[in-house]
Amino acid sequence: MSIPGLGQIAPQAPTSTQRTINLRPFGEWRFSIPHQHSTFSSNSSAAGVTVRLVAGTAERDGTELTPHKDYTFLPGTKSKLFTDQGCTLEINNTGGYPLEDRVVEYPHPEQSPMVSYINLHFGLEDYERAAAAHHAQHPLPHQQQGRQGGGGPRPKPGPRVLVCGPHCVGKTSLVKYLGALATRMGSQPLVANLNPTDGLLSLPGTLSAAVFGTLMDVEEPAGGFGVSSTPISGPSQTVKNPLAFYFGREKAGEDVETWKQMTERLAVLCKRKLERNRDVRVAGFLVDTAPVDAGDKEGQELLAWGVRQFDVNYVVVIGSEKLKTELGQRFASEKTSFGEPVTVLGFDKSDGAVQIDKGWRQKSTETAIKEYFFGGIKARLSPFTQSASFDELVVFKAPDDPYEGAPVLERVEITPEMAHWTLAVMIASVTDSPQAIRFSSVLGFIVIADVDVERRRVKFLSPVSGRLGNHPLIWGRWPEPYLNLLA
Amino acid sequence: MTTDAAADVAEDYRQALEDLTVNSRIEIATLTNIARENAIHGLAIADVLTNHIKKVPPTRTLPALYVLDSIVKNAPTPYALYFGPKLYSIFMGAYTKVDTPTRRKMDEMLKTWKEPVAGALGNKPVFPPEVVKPIENALIAAKNVALQVNQSSFQGQQYMLRGARPPAPPHRDTPTPPQSPYHQPQAPPHQGISIERLRDDIQQLIVAERAEFARDPLDVGKQTRLKALLDLQTLIQRPDVPQEQLMLVKEKITELSVNMRSSVATAAAGVVPVAAPPHHYNPVPYTATPTPPVIPGAVVPPPPQVPGVGRPASAMAVPGPGAAPGAGGALSLDSLFGQGALAALLAGATRKSATPTPSQTSTPQPPIATPMIPPPAVPPVAAGIPVPAPSAAGSLAALNPALAAVLRSQTPTMAPTATASSITNNPSALLAMLRQSGLLSGAAGTSTTPVSVVPTPVAPAAAWTYTLKQYRGPHLINRLHEDLGPPCTQCGRRFGIDEEGRRKKTAHMDWHFRVHQRVTDAERRGQHRSWWVEQSDWANSSEAIDIDHSHRSDAATHPSGGHGGGVPGQDTLNYDDDVDDDDYDPEANFNSSYNNADSLYPGGGAAAGGGDHSGGGHGHASSGKATANRKGGKRGGGGLNYIPVPEDSAKVNNMCPICQEKFEMKWLDEAQEWVWMDATKVGGRVYHASCHKEVNGSGAVGGDGGGGSNGMMGMSMGMGMSGGGENGFGGGRKRKAEDDAYSGAKGRIKLEY
Repeated sequence: MSIPGLGQIAPQAPTSTQRTINLRPFGEWRFSIPHQHSTFSSNSSAAGVTVRLVAGTAERDGTELTPHKDYTFLPGTKSKLFTDQGCTLEINNTGGYPLEDRVVEYPHPEQSPMVSYINLHFGLEDYERAAAAHHAQHPLPHQQQGRQGGGGPRPKPGPRVLVCGPHCVGKTSLVKYLGALATRMGSQPLVANLNPTDGLLSLPGTLSAAVFGTLMDVEEPAGGFGVSSTPISGPSQTVKNPLAFYFGREKAGEDVETWKQMTERLAVLCKRKLERNRDVRVAGFLVDTAPVDAGDKEGQELLAWGVRQFDVNYVVVIGSEKLKTELGQRFASEKTSFGEPVTVLGFDKSDGAVQIDKGWRQKSTETAIKEYFFGGIKARLSPFTQSASFDELVVFKAPDDPYEGAPVLERVEITPEMAHWTLAVMIASVTDSPQAIRFSSVLGFIVIADVDVERRRVKFLSPVSGRLGNHPLIWGRWPEPYLNLLA
Repeated sequence: MTTDAAADVAEDYRQALEDLTVNSRIEIATLTNIARENAIHGLAIADVLTNHIKKVPPTRTLPALYVLDSIVKNAPTPYALYFGPKLYSIFMGAYTKVDTPTRRKMDEMLKTWKEPVAGALGNKPVFPPEVVKPIENALIAAKNVALQVNQSSFQGQQYMLRGARPPAPPHRDTPTPPQSPYHQPQAPPHQGISIERLRDDIQQLIVAERAEFARDPLDVGKQTRLKALLDLQTLIQRPDVPQEQLMLVKEKITELSVNMRSSVATAAAGVVPVAAPPHHYNPVPYTATPTPPVIPGAVVPPPPQVPGVGRPASAMAVPGPGAAPGAGGALSLDSLFGQGALAALLAGATRKSATPTPSQTSTPQPPIATPMIPPPAVPPVAAGIPVPAPSAAGSLAALNPALAAVLRSQTPTMAPTATASSITNNPSALLAMLRQSGLLSGAAGTSTTPVSVVPTPVAPAAAWTYTLKQYRGPHLINRLHEDLGPPCTQCGRRFGIDEEGRRKKTAHMDWHFRVHQRVTDAERRGQHRSWWVEQSDWANSSEAIDIDHSHRSDAATHPSGGHGGGVPGQDTLNYDDDVDDDDYDPEANFNSSYNNADSLYPGGGAAAGGGDHSGGGHGHASSGKATANRKGGKRGGGGLNYIPVPEDSAKVNNMCPICQEKFEMKWLDEAQEWVWMDATKVGGRVYHASCHKEVNGSGAVGGDGGGGSNGMMGMSMGMGMSGGGENGFGGGRKRKAEDDAYSGAKGRIKLEY
């Protein structure tokens, strides 16, 4: 597992700690590999904890491991390998990472929350199949006709599921799990994320969506939801194509209006995709959301907004019966635009759901940014450092404290404070209205490396060479600056 | 029993009851008197009244109940006996369908039943405790459920109990769960087996078993037993269970309950089974409002079958504010009723299905009151939608899986495999399960009948929402693994073993091979993160096509410029052949299955290739939206005119023979290699594409969807984003070779970069 050029990793002598564990059906191997405090290197983190599936089946968040293949879990990963049939794993921590792990087994399958998740999957799948059958009976008019005409009854799409719950109950994991299972069965759900704290196939601070047709990358810390699965110029096996809007704040509550509009925009596009793409139409949506507690009226308001926008007909609540009750009341009388009722389902949280503290999250964000520009062990990427004059870059910024009637964006001069910030490159023209720029999708990101006020030049890191042209940039407040990216 | 006279009396009485629409004390008194005077036909009258209570609309339920109340209070002698065994189903049935104020009245009424009739000489209660107790227990159970719902701090306990109690039933706080003894003394005077009795018995067993289980949650045997009981309970609700099986079940249950009671050492001693209340109370005039509503915990009624149904907490879509546990009174009524009763109400409100239910049993016994089950004539709307209405259908279904059966019979949905429902459907499956769990020592001898092998029946989609926590056996798990076929040794993706699966797998393995081939190459050349696609491209694109067995990686990794943006065709350099194959072979497969003309290959495949046959190959900057409807093998899309820098430049002219200018060498991101821009290779010589075209004038016009023989239809629809970086978010128009701008405003690459 040693890859040349890893000088900076693990000054301590690599102690080969290999062991084999057996898991009974519905057992889990939970593990946590802390982030490395490392300076940047494009080929860093080449080593992690290696796991090999010797017998049985095992999966990370629904994506199966291949037998007899080494999987390397990287620092900054908190996850678990789950087996529904029992398995034997060979764990190899040659790198001497401070791996924390434990085996959790249940005497009876029904004690594992995974049972209900699996049942949920099959429930949704049946719904999907019903939708597919429906389509088979009522074939859509040809795409183009569909566009022109739009007459006739609307075909009922597959299930649209929104997952919500309090902090750290495994919302994203469940979304991932459902997505992975669906993918495994050959369908292609559209996964959307409405929680700007994290990024789905994007950097934090964005609201994004992508269709999951390819497998998820089980090795990356985010388990397939990380930015490392976005397109690169070379071949990649787990690539997905994200659509991202740049919210630029950590929490939706910091700018509710924008969040709502952005969610609406995202939903509109997702629904358009749903209409035009048969596979997505059959597979439906999976929507991940920000944490909401029972009694949190504002948070639930946002959830309800998401439910309406995405035409959600299954609201999955994890880890809070009370929240489930409240949402159940809220949606009791609601109907989707397809006339379906909104069903609220409650689930226990897995006791393995881990707390993610601020430090960990920050590290993960940094990892994601690094991954975006420099890639990981799968593919090393070469970003481009560019230099431009102040006049060449058009930077907008959302008002710090949105007030009634505030402009959505205001043009800002490049200042030294921008150094180390990650700016979003928008797919719009600088001449567009601020509104249009704000709600256009993200082309990519750049990181401001250095601002030279005297010469009025700015150095930045861009994933792609070539000028930014007249793509406007947006300077948000999230993700926060990453000081060591270029150190 | 049913003599002519009795039939006449019953008929008269029925008509009299029909006229009872309001809570009229006089009418109730009259009906009471009639009943008393015809005590000789008491059984018939009791039956009539029982049926009446079940059938009347909710608004008229209360008066009917008052008649019952009045009768048993004024003429307890035969009537308390007659109503006793059925009281549970009567009461709970009514309870579930009426509204909250009525419930409060019923609670009050229930209270009075526990007490001696006011003014009576004796101190015997109206109904013996063993009759009232189950009702109270059910109400308390409901309250506990609500409590639990509100206590997320219960995690630990839930964790412990999660599995074995699919329905997430209340953890009983009652000190002595299974105390109510058997109703042995009141064995119904009927032939056959009383389903109600059976059900009550099972319920008691469940309670006891649950207590046992709570004591030792890790005991698998107990879990299994409990589960079997729950399933059994479900089964019994079904109308079409054959008598023989009921007999079997009953025997077993009796046996079990005996054991259970002895082992659980309940406080039953105190509650001696009472045969009948003593005679001769002084009649007490009936009062419409018995006692003030001090209802301790007795509020909601998930009838005992509820816990057995496999109702996950999730079924409680409606629970009210539910907050304050023990808030008591109306509030907790509301919240608790969400458990199901309210759902029933809502159901009644939303559609008119609140009409009492038809009978559910096939036994001679009068039907159990199962008003939770909407009549089979549920509007097709409800049945047709495989989604449970969260409030109505869902909860209903949750409360009584028999509904599932009803729904199932109406919706030929192909659907999930619910062992639970399979059991409801299939009594023998249940028996097998019982056998397995050791409840029945069945004739099969071994106790290992694999229940899981039961073919998964068709169930309505709605059904799954309330059996979420039930482990449905390995067959389901296999559907996630073996049934999908063996996994790919590279990535673990599974492919079926049928023709289709093999085809896909072949393509998939080819793809792996090519990717591997190219990965090293790509690494050597250096790669980078691509820009992301523009929204309308995204919305119109179709990942669908290129999962792995398509050329997804390439396609998607070039959401914009398109891979190679026009790699010259076969008559340029051999070098490209690999790439070409990459791009096209798989896609040829897809065109057959996806004739979606709108499908967008984000750049990549579609855009690559250019007009290769023409030699001119005038592509265009494509933003990746080549709307290609290619036939296999034909190359589609447009692209830039460039060729990779020949590996051995010495062998090739490095100057355009036409204009005598040197080729401009440049790193092209899309191609990920050094290229000569605006170049084309014709017959071993390299020309500037533009020069060549000017001279020959016959260059294919890639952008026009012709490419001559290409038979492809490429269309560039960029975004009109001048200077849009490398990836050419070009204008949404077709471009010809003249403006083979590499990207929007970049102008001719030859001229300037």
